Amino acid sequence: MTEVVVRCSGVTRTYQDEAVPVYALRGVDFEVRRGEFVSLAGPSGSGKSTLLNVIGGLDRPNEGLIEVDGINLNDLSQSELSDMRLNKMGFVFQAYNLIPVLSALENVEFIMQLQGVGAAERSERARAALASLGISELEHRRPGELSGGQQQRAAIARAIVTNPVLLLADEPSANLDSHATEELLELLQRLNEERGVTIVTATHDPMVMSYAKRRINLRDGTIVEDAISAAALPAVR
Amino acid sequence: MAEIALPTATPSRPKVRIGSHLFAIAWRNLWRNRRRTWLTAGGIAFAVWMLIFARSMQDGTFIIMIDNAARMMTGHIQVQHPDYQDDPRVEHTLEQATQIAEQVAAHPAVEQASLRAQAFALVSFGERSFGAQVMGVEPEKEIGWSTLANMQVEGRYLEKSGDAFLGSVLARNLGLGLGDEIVLLGSAKEGGVAAVVATVVGTFTSGQAAIDRALVQITLNDFREGWELSPNEAHAVIAVTNAVTGSNEVARAFDGPNRVSLGWTDLMPEVEQMVEMKRIGTEMFFVLIAVIVTFSVVNTFMMTVFERTPEFGMLMAIGMRPGSIMLQLFVEAFWLCTLGLVLGVGISAVMVAITGATGIPLPAEATEMLANYNLPDRMYPAFSLDAAIVASIAMYIGTQLAALIPALRVQRMRPVEALRAQE
Amino acid sequence: MPLKLLVQLSARNLSRHKRRNFMLLMAICVAVGGVTFMNSLIRGFQYDMQESAVANLTGHVKILAPGYLDDPSIAKSFKLAADWQPDIAAEELEGWAARIRIPAVIMSERETRGIQFVGVDPAQESISFLGDADYDGQSLRDASDNRVVIGRALAEQLETKVGRRLVIITQGADGLNREAGFRIAGVYDVEGTGLEKIFVFTGIKMLQQMVDAEVFTEVSIKLAGTPREFSVKVALAEFFTGLVVLDWQELEPQAAAMFLFADAAIFIWFLIMMGALIFGLVNTLITAVMERVRELGMLRAVGMRPGAVIVQVVLESTFMMALGVTIGIGMGVGLIFWAGDGIDLSEWAQGMEMAGMRSVLVPRLMIADLILVAGLSMVFGVLASLYPAWRAVKINPLEALRR
Repeated sequence: MTEVVVRCSGVTRTYQDEAVPVYALRGVDFEVRRGEFVSLAGPSGSGKSTLLNVIGGLDRPNEGLIEVDGINLNDLSQSELSDMRLNKMGFVFQAYNLIPVLSALENVEFIMQLQGVGAAERSERARAALASLGISELEHRRPGELSGGQQQRAAIARAIVTNPVLLLADEPSANLDSHATEELLELLQRLNEERGVTIVTATHDPMVMSYAKRRINLRDGTIVEDAISAAALPAVR
Repeated sequence: MAEIALPTATPSRPKVRIGSHLFAIAWRNLWRNRRRTWLTAGGIAFAVWMLIFARSMQDGTFIIMIDNAARMMTGHIQVQHPDYQDDPRVEHTLEQATQIAEQVAAHPAVEQASLRAQAFALVSFGERSFGAQVMGVEPEKEIGWSTLANMQVEGRYLEKSGDAFLGSVLARNLGLGLGDEIVLLGSAKEGGVAAVVATVVGTFTSGQAAIDRALVQITLNDFREGWELSPNEAHAVIAVTNAVTGSNEVARAFDGPNRVSLGWTDLMPEVEQMVEMKRIGTEMFFVLIAVIVTFSVVNTFMMTVFERTPEFGMLMAIGMRPGSIMLQLFVEAFWLCTLGLVLGVGISAVMVAITGATGIPLPAEATEMLANYNLPDRMYPAFSLDAAIVASIAMYIGTQLAALIPALRVQRMRPVEALRAQE
Repeated sequence: MPLKLLVQLSARNLSRHKRRNFMLLMAICVAVGGVTFMNSLIRGFQYDMQESAVANLTGHVKILAPGYLDDPSIAKSFKLAADWQPDIAAEELEGWAARIRIPAVIMSERETRGIQFVGVDPAQESISFLGDADYDGQSLRDASDNRVVIGRALAEQLETKVGRRLVIITQGADGLNREAGFRIAGVYDVEGTGLEKIFVFTGIKMLQQMVDAEVFTEVSIKLAGTPREFSVKVALAEFFTGLVVLDWQELEPQAAAMFLFADAAIFIWFLIMMGALIFGLVNTLITAVMERVRELGMLRAVGMRPGAVIVQVVLESTFMMALGVTIGIGMGVGLIFWAGDGIDLSEWAQGMEMAGMRSVLVPRLMIADLILVAGLSMVFGVLASLYPAWRAVKINPLEALRR
């Protein structure tokens, strides 16, 4: 186990838009250490989502190196990337987080089914995860019967139940009102502080940024600011 | 089996990639769009119902048609001289006919076995003469199974030596009535002239012109006397069995030296071919219907994949392999097909059960033609298990193929774009 | 909302989901093309059967003496003026033949059989199967030919061949049997053995001489083009008072019933095909409506009337159907031309013969069937769009926009 969970160096990602190449990322270098809560910020088109996707192995850079937990993602095949995501990362998206035909509990269990965890252990761990997020009593509801905030909690439960080394969240607050956003962020903060979960989010929501300990600002595909934010201070206390 | 203690599963060991819930998830996915599922399954059910019901109708009708044709004259099985079928000469006789008939009658599937001899003769009454087939029969046995023997329009069937039973058209052509004496002239087995005088005791109308115009029945003994056959000789041992189906197999048991045993397919090849031809026609239509339904299933899956693209993106992002997602689509296709089949087979079974007992009446204009094809005026469907199996296999293959095309799109999907795909 | 705009909207909507609509289009094409081709086979079968029935010495219309059908003997005959011609317009008449056809017994050195003995004028027999039969030896020369031609199957039964002699016994006009010897001019070969076993032909003059009367038992008339048996029948019945005039449906009731069955079969199969198709059509249209809930809601909000929504959905379905029907009929007609020489069914020859058919099934394209298929398909297209259209009208503009 290394202390550096994510290492990016010289990461460049271009998209071919008609004849002109569009640079989403131009040579991004940065590292995320274990236990950090990083927010990637910037206006839309700044490359923050692309960077998050590249870290998550959902997208491949044209140039540059990405290491997650010491493994070079460029060396992995698509199915190895799948396994990597399954076993080492947790994802929270802005929408479409959950399988609509499965209950909250089944959604959390589902990811462990993919991993091949036995039935008894699966249900025990899934219940524990839901309980830690305070939605035990909703475990048999399907996503359609949950509020946006409850859905995001279930999604986080699913993301952390596998004990990932890295939790990635793409605009997790996009579909939530401010109250639900605050609850969600407090939850992420607790996970980060109490259980040491490494979190990287991409967002343009200032509220999310304010909870992160470190804020990386992107503009036109390059990092323009990398700072410890105010939220880190109480943690240092 | 000895109990082996297994260690409890550890989290990161990929024992099963696909959870046992796959079938359950696929089944639930089916009900996300009830209307679409019902419409698609309805199409499958319709196709399956069509084939099964059409085939059940045909099978039921064909069995009756074959049985009626057989019971009219030919019987289900005939044991003959090896050359008689191709070259029906009077000298191609069975030598030990009585013993063979006893042997045939002893078979458990055989209802009745009787002897027959036949030859061509000139039938004369007064100044008029017509050519006709003369058949020597055992009346007491023949009346038991031959429908022809029970089709008299006038008089009665044969009872004793000297009786003649002939077609009503022949009787009219000869201008004779009951009680008139006819003379039958032909060539006897040993080369002499065969001459038999008989009294008309009855006339029949079968509905088949060829028979009504040119068939005379007399007793077997009169025939043997006239055509110089020995008391143990005949041209055929005719057997009726308890069922048409399987009678060809029963026939094989009676093959022997200096004789062949023919089943209904040998005796009435034209009936068999007609049955076959109609089946092929029905199956051609079924193939067309199956193709049409397959296209609509392709459509359903394309719509499903299109709408669920973001969900598939999420599944891939959390680490599900595209192969597993495709597998899930195939399982959904399996369920969809199963649903359609249960519906289609169920409806067919119920309809066959209801109509099989009462029969489906046919239009009056059809009855004349049907009589000529030995058909009753009602159709009695018999559930065709064959058709149910063929339809099921065809639809399973069709729906799996239908799921394949959209499933291939899943393989090409990239999680990032899939997640962003909007309706 | 102007119709032109609706038409444009519908067409654009269809092209929005090319792949999905392509699949639906394929289904329609297969259904319509398949039905077109199968119809042509059924029609081929139907007309083949009719032609065989007509060629079977029947003709479209036949003139007989009363009672001949019950008692086909020389006693039921009639005289005909030497210069008689049927009073039918030339373009409607393909040909006619006056014959004697009576039962007889035929004997070779080895065998005896019952047959129909037919006296013909070979020049007139282009209208019957005799006209295009293949011969071993020769065909009959003229009306006074005193030889016979017999069928191959009968020749085999009688164990005789061209050049040999046969004895034929039949009843004369006086009711007494006549016996005469004939030399075999030729052995004819037609498809199927049924006719070969029954009919023996000689010159009409020869047969009149044998029965001792200058009479005929039948006049058979074959019509050209689309036969109008009924009017011809009426005209002939007026001319031949005292005789019976029958059409082929009456003479060959089996074939006539099969003919009607085939008409019904075409209709039934078409309905079944459309039944299978309609599930997919409704399905796709419903989806197209449901995924446009927002858009339709917006259109309603900006003032599109419910009627216009219905028209739009119905138009979409109609376009789809029209395109599918056009391509499908093209495919079907292509198949018909491809199979134009006919499909060999000789494996089932005896069964075919029982059904009154030849062993090569030639598809027959009928414009009326194409129109029927196209027209009814369009009706089905509209029917299939009714439920989706109703569903589209039910969309509440406010609710749809809030989604």
